[in-house]
Amino acid sequence: MLWTARLVLAAVFAGVCAARPPLALAQRESSSIVIVTGQQAAVPIPTLMEGPQNALANEEIADHLFLRLAGVGPDLVTAGDRGFVPLLARSWSRRDSVTIAFELDPRARWHDGAPVTSRDVLFTYARARDRTIAPRLAHATRRIATVSAEGERRVVFRFTQVYSEQLYDATFHVAILPAHLLASLPPTDSAWSPFAASPVGNGPYRWVRRVEGEFIELAANRDFFLGRPGIERVIVRVAANTDARINLLLAGEADAIDNIPPPTTNLARVAAAPHLRLVPVPSNLLGYLLFNQREPGHPDRPHPILSDRDVRRALILALDRDVLVRALLGPHGYVPFGPVSSQLWIRHGAPASARQDLSTARRLLAGRGWVDRDADGIRENRTGARLSLHLLVSNSSLVRTQMAAIIQQQLRQVGVDIQQTRVEAPVWLERRSAGNFDIDFSSANQDPSPSGLVFSWACGGPGNVGKYCDPAADSLLHQAIASPGADRRLWHSYLRRVEESAPAAFIYTQTFVFGVHRRFRDVTIRPHSSWSALWRWPAPGS
Amino acid sequence: MTGWLLRRIAQAIATFAVAAVLMFVLMRLAPGDPLARMQEDRPMSGEEVARLRTIYGLDQPIHRQFAAFAQGVLRADLGVSIEHGRPVTTLLASRIGPTLLLGGAAILLNFTLGLWLGVRQAVRHGSREDRALTVLSLAGYATPSFWLGLVLAWLVGIELGWLPVAGMRDPLLPRDATWLAHAVDIGRHLVLPALTLSIVTIAGTMRYQRSALLEVLRLPYIGTAKAKGVPDRTVVWRHAWRNALFPVITLFGLWLPLLVTGSVFVEMVFAWPGLGSLAANAASGRDYPLVMGAALLAAGMVVTASLMTDLTYALLDPRVRYT
Amino acid sequence: MADPLVRAWRDPRGRAGALMLAAIASAAAVGPMLLPDPLAQPCVLTCRNLAPSLAHPFGTDELSRDILSRVAWGGRISLSVAFLAVGLSVTLGAATGLAAGYWGGPVDAGLMRLVDAALAVPRLFLLLLVLAVWEQVPVAMLILLIGATGWFGTGRLVRGEVLRLREESYVRAAEALGARRGRVIFRHLLPNTAGPLLVAATLGVGDVILLEAGLSFLGLGVQPPTPSWGAMIFEARSVLVAAPWAGIFPGLALIATVLSANLFGDALRDAVDPRGA
Repeated sequence: MLWTARLVLAAVFAGVCAARPPLALAQRESSSIVIVTGQQAAVPIPTLMEGPQNALANEEIADHLFLRLAGVGPDLVTAGDRGFVPLLARSWSRRDSVTIAFELDPRARWHDGAPVTSRDVLFTYARARDRTIAPRLAHATRRIATVSAEGERRVVFRFTQVYSEQLYDATFHVAILPAHLLASLPPTDSAWSPFAASPVGNGPYRWVRRVEGEFIELAANRDFFLGRPGIERVIVRVAANTDARINLLLAGEADAIDNIPPPTTNLARVAAAPHLRLVPVPSNLLGYLLFNQREPGHPDRPHPILSDRDVRRALILALDRDVLVRALLGPHGYVPFGPVSSQLWIRHGAPASARQDLSTARRLLAGRGWVDRDADGIRENRTGARLSLHLLVSNSSLVRTQMAAIIQQQLRQVGVDIQQTRVEAPVWLERRSAGNFDIDFSSANQDPSPSGLVFSWACGGPGNVGKYCDPAADSLLHQAIASPGADRRLWHSYLRRVEESAPAAFIYTQTFVFGVHRRFRDVTIRPHSSWSALWRWPAPGS
Repeated sequence: MTGWLLRRIAQAIATFAVAAVLMFVLMRLAPGDPLARMQEDRPMSGEEVARLRTIYGLDQPIHRQFAAFAQGVLRADLGVSIEHGRPVTTLLASRIGPTLLLGGAAILLNFTLGLWLGVRQAVRHGSREDRALTVLSLAGYATPSFWLGLVLAWLVGIELGWLPVAGMRDPLLPRDATWLAHAVDIGRHLVLPALTLSIVTIAGTMRYQRSALLEVLRLPYIGTAKAKGVPDRTVVWRHAWRNALFPVITLFGLWLPLLVTGSVFVEMVFAWPGLGSLAANAASGRDYPLVMGAALLAAGMVVTASLMTDLTYALLDPRVRYT
Repeated sequence: MADPLVRAWRDPRGRAGALMLAAIASAAAVGPMLLPDPLAQPCVLTCRNLAPSLAHPFGTDELSRDILSRVAWGGRISLSVAFLAVGLSVTLGAATGLAAGYWGGPVDAGLMRLVDAALAVPRLFLLLLVLAVWEQVPVAMLILLIGATGWFGTGRLVRGEVLRLREESYVRAAEALGARRGRVIFRHLLPNTAGPLLVAATLGVGDVILLEAGLSFLGLGVQPPTPSWGAMIFEARSVLVAAPWAGIFPGLALIATVLSANLFGDALRDAVDPRGA
C-alpha cells in the first residue's frame, strides 16, 4: 500500500512538472511583454500620486495610461523652451516672457472615445494646484499664475515671474485627467472610486486588470492618435524580493526588469544569459555622506568635529570614491561633482571630482589638532577626545551598506574611527530628520530639474537636515535658477562653491541597467519615465 | 465539560483583547515613522509631512488613536493602509487565499510525512536509518528557508527549467482558460515554495514524534502487549501512538497560525502573493493600519489554535482533569 | 541515579556530539588569534568573491574579506548567543510548563493565557521596542532578550506533557504515598518531560543563530562589520550562484552545531530517562 502511495505521489509530481501550459508558451512568442518590478502600483493616477503614493511604481503605470502636454526631450534639458517634444499638445507658442499657449492635438481621444479638450486641462490643473488635494504638485506648479481656455483646443498658461523652466513646470509635473469622468467625484474619494480601480486614460495603453500582489495587465490602445503600439499586451509583474526578480528574468518568466539590483554579480549573470541584453539608462539617484554641522541632540550647537570645514575636506580626501563606485556599481557608476545625479543636464562639462589624497587628508587633520597621541591608530585632539564618528545607514540598500563597510576601512587609514549604525529605513529616517547622526549615508532621487537643489542644499531648505548654510552659494544658486535659457556655467560655479565648503562627500551616481529580452528590437528606455516609449517598440518578429 | 469550555472561550476572547492592546501599544512605541519609507529617496517638506500626519491620525495622542482603532475593529473596519492606499480588509482578503494554500500544503506535507518518518525512527531507534533520517532532517532544519528556496529556484527553475521560479500563476495564461489549466498552473507554482517550507520545518515534527513515541514504547504496558503476542505494527499504531500524540498536538497547535501568518522568507523568495510578505513589509515600513490588521488576524489564529489544542487533549485523554 | 551528564558521555553519540561541540567552540575561541583580520579588505576590487584556495581556504566575500576568519570570529557571537539564550528560554519554558501542568486550575489558566497572549504578539513587536530604548544593544542584553521571548512554545509543550503524566499511575502512586511536592516534580515529572525539552533546546540552537542575524539586520544585534554566522548567511544570499562558498561555510558551521547539539541531546535524553534505556 505504501509503495502504491509513493508511486502515485511521484506520478503527480512528474505530471505537475511536465504539464507546462501550452497556451502560455504560445502567448509568450506573440507580442506581449512581462516587466518585473519591485512594487505594485496602487494608485497610478495623476494628482493622486501624493504622499505615500508618490512612488515610482505608480508613475510607471501612469506613464502608459496618461499623457502630458509635452515631454522632456532626449537631451533632458529642462530649461528654456527648445528641448521638449509634443504629446497631447501638438504645438505651443510664447506670447510674452510669462505666457505660453498650447494647441491640443485634435486627434487625442480618451479610452472611452471622448475627445481630449481644454476642459480636461483646466480641470487637471485646478486639482494639481489645490494645496488640499495635491500639496506636492501645488508646490511644484506654484509659479503658474493662471490656466485658461480659448475654445475647445487651446490652453494658455500665465506665470508669476520670468524664469527658464516655465515650459517644464507647465508640462512635466502632471498628466491630463478626464474631466468628464472625474468632475462629479469628490477629489478626496478618488483613490477608492471605480475610476481608480479601472482608470480611463488617453495614452498608448489602456487598463485591463489588477491581480493584487501579482500583476497589472494593460492592453494596446489600437486607436492611439500618435500611432498604434507595436506590443499588444503589457504585464507589470511584482516581486518585492530582488533575488526573485532576477530569477524570473533568468528563467524567462519575465521579459524585462526595471533595474538590475545589486550586487554586480547579478549584472554578470544577466549579461551571460544568451536571451537577454543590458540597456543602460541614466538615473536620478545620488548617494552621499552627509556631514551634520550641528551636534546630535543639540541643534543649537555646532558639531564638535564636523563643523570644521578642514576636517570635512580631510574626510572626503581620505576616501577613495573610485574604488567605492567600482566595487559596488562596476562600470555603471561614477563620482559626481556636487549634488548632481547622472540624469541632470547640468552635469555635462562639470569639473572632475577630487581624487583620494591621503597625505593632504593627514596634513589637514594634523593642522586642526587631530593627532594620534596614544598610538592606538585613532587620532585625538588636545583634550584627548577621539576622532570617532557614527555613520548612520539604512539597511534597505545593499549598495550603501556595503559601501559603508569599505568607507570604515578607508577612513581608518587616516586615523578616523567610524562606528556604523545600520537600522531599518523608518528608524533611519526618524534619526536623520531629528539630526541624530554625525554622518548619514543619504540618497536622493533627484528631480529632472536642477532647481530642486534648493530643497536639500539651500540655507533653511526643508530637506536640509545637515544644516549646511552658505549664503554665497545660495546667491549663486538663485542666479542660476533665474537665468533664462540653459546656462551650464552659472550652475558649475554654484557646484564649485558647494564642493569647496564640503557639506557632504558626494559618493556615487549611477546608470541604471535594465535587462530586456533579445526578441525585442529598437528598445528605447527613457531616463525619467522609463517605459513611456515602450509603445514605439516594434512588435517582435514583425 | 460544557462549563469548562465556556470559561475557556471567555478566556480566549480576553486573551485576544489583551494581545490586541499590547500590540497596538508596542507598535506605536517602536521607533520609526510610518511616513518614512516614501521619504527615503524622495524627501518631503515638513508642511507636507504634517498634513499627512493629520490625515492618518498620527498627530493624535495614543489613547485617541486606540479608541478610533477599537471602534473601527468593532465595525469590521481596519482603516486604510498608508502604503497601499486601500482598505486593510480588502488587502487582507486578497492575500489570505494564497497564504492558506501554501501554509495548508506545507503543513499537510509536513505532518503526514513527518509523523510517519518520526514513528519509523522511533521503532527502529538507533538503526542506521534512524541516524540517517536524523542527520538529513536536521540539516534541512538548520538550513535557512530563503537559502533553500533560492537553491531550489535556481536548480529546478532556472537550470532544469522544470517548474516556475516565482509567483503564483502565469500572468500570460488567458483568463478564459479551463479551470483545470488554472489549477495546474497554480499547482506548478506551489510545488517549490511548499517543498521548501516543509523541508525546513519537518525536523520539528519528526523529532518530537520520535522522542514522544520512544518514551511511550518503554512503558510497561507496551511490553505486556508485546508479550501477549500482539503484532508489532498494532502495538505501535494502536497502543503506543495514541499516547505519544500529546506533544504532536501541541506542536500542531503552535504551527496552525502559520496558515495565516505565512512564512515570510518563503513568500518573499518565491514572490508568493501572501499575507506573510505583506505583513512583514508593512511592519518594516510601520504601516500601522496594515500591521495591526495582519497582527489581529494572526493573534486570532493563535488563540483559536490554543483553544483547539486544549479541546483535543480533553477528547484524547478523558482523564485530563479540568477545573 | 548516576549523573546524567556522565552517562551521556559514556554513550558514543553523546561523546561524539560533545567532542564536536567542543571542537567548534575552541575553533571559535582560538581561531581568530591565528587567522587574518576578519575585517581587513586587502583588495576590494581585485580579490572579491574568490573561490576557496590555499591562501583563503573558505574563499573571500564581496568585499575581499577572508571567509575562514569571519566564520571563526562569527562563531564567538553566534555560539554564545545560541547556547545562553536557549538555556534561558528552556529554563523559563520548563518552569512555566511544570507549574501550569502540575497545579492546574487557575495557575494553569493564568499562565497559559499569558503564553497565548505572548505567542499572539509577533516577536518582532517585542524586540523592536528595545530599539526605542537603546541605540546600540549590548550582546548580553541581546541574549537576555532572545531568551526571554523564546520560551512560550516550550512552556506549552511541557505543560501538555505534564497534564498527561500527572494522570499516569506512578505519579498518582507517588502522590498517594505522600511524596513531597518537590520530589514529585523533580523526580517524576521533570525527567519525563526531558524528551520534548531537549528537542526544543537542540532545535532552538539553530533558530536562535538565524534570529540573531535577523535582529542585526534590523539594527538590534551585533552591528556590521562584526561577523556572525547568521548575518554572513543572510548577506551571502545575493551571491548564491556567483559565490556559493560565502554562504555554504557559515551554513555548514551552523548545521554542524545543530547536529552535534542534537546528538548530545539524544544521549542526554536517554541518560535522564528514569526507567533506563
